[in-house]
Amino acid sequence: MSVLQARDLTISARLGGTVVTVIRSLSFDLEPGKIIGLVGESGAGKTMIGRAIAQVLPPGFAITAGSLLFGGDDLVTMAPDRRRALLGRAIAFIPQAPMTALNPVKTIGAQFDEHLSRLGQRGRQQRRERALAMLAASGLPRPEGLLAQYPHQLSGGMCQRVLIASAFASNPRLVIADEPTTALDATTHRQILRLIAAMQREHATAVIFITHDLRLAADLCDDIIVLYAGRPVESGPARAVLSAPAHPYARCLQLANPSMSAQRRALYVMPDQMPSLRQMQTMSGCSFAPRCPLAVEECRRNEPPAVSVAAGHVVACSRAAATPSIDVRESAPSMPDEAARNVLQVVNLAKRYGVGRGLFNEATTVAAVKDATFDIGENEFVALVGESGSGKSTVAKMLVGLERPSSGKILFNGDDLTEPALRNRSRVAASVQMIFQDPRSALNPRRRIASIVTQVMEAGHRHARWDERQKRSQQLLGEVGLAADFAARLPDHLSGGQRQRINIARALCIPPRLLIADEIVSGLDVSIQAQLLNLLARLRAELGFAMLFISHDLSVVRHLCSRVLVMYRGEIVEQGRTETVFGDPHHPHTRALVAATSPQA
Amino acid sequence: MLATVVKLIARRLLAAVPILLVVSALLFCVLRLLPVDPAAMSLPPTATIAQIEAKRREMGLDRPLPEQYAMWLKAALHGDFGRSIQFGRQAGGLVAASLPATIELAAAAMILAAILGFGGGLLLFHLRGTLFESIADLGSILLLSIPEFLWGLILLFVFGVVLHALPFTGEVSPNLPQPDITGFILLDSLLVGRFDVFLSACRHLILPAFALGLAFSPTIMRVLRSSLFDIYHEDYIQQARLRGLSETQILLRHALKNAILPTLTLAGVQFGILFSGTLLVEVIYSYPGMGNLMVDAVRNADLPLIQAIALTYCIVVLIINTLVDALHIVLNPKLRTH
Repeated sequence: MSVLQARDLTISARLGGTVVTVIRSLSFDLEPGKIIGLVGESGAGKTMIGRAIAQVLPPGFAITAGSLLFGGDDLVTMAPDRRRALLGRAIAFIPQAPMTALNPVKTIGAQFDEHLSRLGQRGRQQRRERALAMLAASGLPRPEGLLAQYPHQLSGGMCQRVLIASAFASNPRLVIADEPTTALDATTHRQILRLIAAMQREHATAVIFITHDLRLAADLCDDIIVLYAGRPVESGPARAVLSAPAHPYARCLQLANPSMSAQRRALYVMPDQMPSLRQMQTMSGCSFAPRCPLAVEECRRNEPPAVSVAAGHVVACSRAAATPSIDVRESAPSMPDEAARNVLQVVNLAKRYGVGRGLFNEATTVAAVKDATFDIGENEFVALVGESGSGKSTVAKMLVGLERPSSGKILFNGDDLTEPALRNRSRVAASVQMIFQDPRSALNPRRRIASIVTQVMEAGHRHARWDERQKRSQQLLGEVGLAADFAARLPDHLSGGQRQRINIARALCIPPRLLIADEIVSGLDVSIQAQLLNLLARLRAELGFAMLFISHDLSVVRHLCSRVLVMYRGEIVEQGRTETVFGDPHHPHTRALVAATSPQA
Repeated sequence: MLATVVKLIARRLLAAVPILLVVSALLFCVLRLLPVDPAAMSLPPTATIAQIEAKRREMGLDRPLPEQYAMWLKAALHGDFGRSIQFGRQAGGLVAASLPATIELAAAAMILAAILGFGGGLLLFHLRGTLFESIADLGSILLLSIPEFLWGLILLFVFGVVLHALPFTGEVSPNLPQPDITGFILLDSLLVGRFDVFLSACRHLILPAFALGLAFSPTIMRVLRSSLFDIYHEDYIQQARLRGLSETQILLRHALKNAILPTLTLAGVQFGILFSGTLLVEVIYSYPGMGNLMVDAVRNADLPLIQAIALTYCIVVLIINTLVDALHIVLNPKLRTH
């Protein structure tokens, strides 16, 4: 018998007086010991399904039709107390952001103990032993010491292991894992997935795995449901969906993702973005039709029927037969030849921080960056990869002058940026620009876009007139592919991808010679990422600039950058042409990074 | 943890030295700028100019200001804050005699403010999303706008004058003896076993403590509510819910301990303000504390006494801030070094 049966599950939201369907007619059967993947980009409604199971929907959201049968009982109509009794016991959750999912003022031991005592485990000592056993089974070293520690003393991966241990402690029948690796380092991704799979096998648990990453889902899951704008557009066995996607959206998504092993190719760029809840209200027909390369008049009029393309493989598209014909016409972005001259030369750059300096302690220093030596040629895109804490961001900050190097030289066009002469700094400031990781916090929420993108025109001695800035902002918006009317908007009214375009536009205001991009596509959806990567390649061809591209995603790096620097514990341990480094990694850490990237990728 | 607390206290003690030096120097200068002549004031009105001049020399008032400050500082370091002009007694002794009453009042008020603030904050939070929310919100803003002296007058009028329910002058009933061992009347009455004195002191404390407590509870209330709001958006609250914990368990075991941290920061700042708020309330209730002494001193331009009292206020605030920060280390694991 199925662990969970969803039948025509429909979730609606009240939005300014009208009701919008957030999830429409979702049905699936989850058998014991199986993993089902819910795949979709942000806004697809995939998180709503986990929340619907626990009935912790956001205010205004409600299940308006359908049922969720858990072992024969309908979770939708069940009394709240009975449902609550199931949570944490028969149904457990693994969260998206492990660092914030643990209470910061309680020790790991106290939180584990609370959970076990709710499960009915008697005796403090027995609970302690069970906690230790579960933590050890989750691959955590020295669990005894861990019990007395607080969440902020652990890494994200360790927190997630604790949460996985706690989720499986009750031998649940159903586990819902909502993007459990998104917030973690690339190198920990694999390990966490392997742990979930091992725990799932051992406890014969059924798992709902929610992710934005189709390849990741195909790797782990038995079945996959692809969601678009709250509609299940394709479902079927994981291998079948990945190898022969039948819905145009699934196919486009696959083509939008850069590959790690196949021939480098251009990325498929879907226009626009997924319709928002508000837009969905007024739409008719297939919700993917506005972005679909196969869409015909019929698609915009009627909701497409679900058709079966193979055993258990169902797709909601009337044009599914033509899906394999979707392809990328353009060739891969060209990589410039070995640059004639260097725009940036970094020689023995180092940064040491003093820690524990106080009244009663001896000063000790920690090296964040040790002896970094590299150069970047004109028009060259160079990647800097490594796990968090390896010193990537410190290098970036020193290059733009946000941190003062402890020693070493940064030669930009032959001028040493480490020289304290301030005049020098302001002259190069315009030519070296940085794009930050989090587009939300990088944009001042109280400034209009026109003023944000032309911010650099306020600097220095030349205060540009407002009409000059207005004109420049229009040009810049055009360059990053945004409509001119964005100039008058505030950052809050923009989507994540649009914000990052604004960030890029700001860096281009005074044409830079060198861009420093710190993880600028991580956290964005695949289709938006493809748009931005193509934009960067196009802008280089049009404007000509070099870039240091900091990233943890090797497939993105392989797509965009001709050379790569690998950082590990503050040191550049390997550098060379991307193909060479990834194809034949020498340093153990590079090998680990390459291995952590899924093989199909 | 203990090591961190000890380190903090040591650091604060060191920092207190320059702070007190600067404050005392400022006080000294400002008070010397006042158009009053301490020499003339300490002599009878019939004194001649020559007598006043002689007195000025005797008091050192004819020397340059830095030298006067140095003399004052040297004496102060030996515990001598000068002789009060109006009482003719040591200023330090006068302060020491009135400080315990003010500490008792401030502590009682703070406890009341904490109880009312926490209760009110939890109530406000509990009412979120209901019809009563806006009413309760309005009520808390109304409370926020009533200062302590207005509460003092309202309570005095209602409970003292109209209802005759509680006494509203002094520290204890005038017909009862006032034991003096430590200076804290609540403690001393118990030490000598005079339960009637203790009861009387408690009754006398109620109105002034409520006046102060009521004035300072709304801020605590509102900060507790808004930090609870923030914390309920945190992932660990959602995760606790997904583990099947009841709302009461979530509040008591997970939310409250986190919400206390910002509330405590504010309460620490508030306590400094509350301590100076005792001044007006003491005057209203003729409470024999430092506030009344200060008003007397100001009225009579009793410079040595003003100086001693102001410095005492400064020291008390420094001590409270240190204690609050130490409490933070105890409650917030992120502040402990590991």
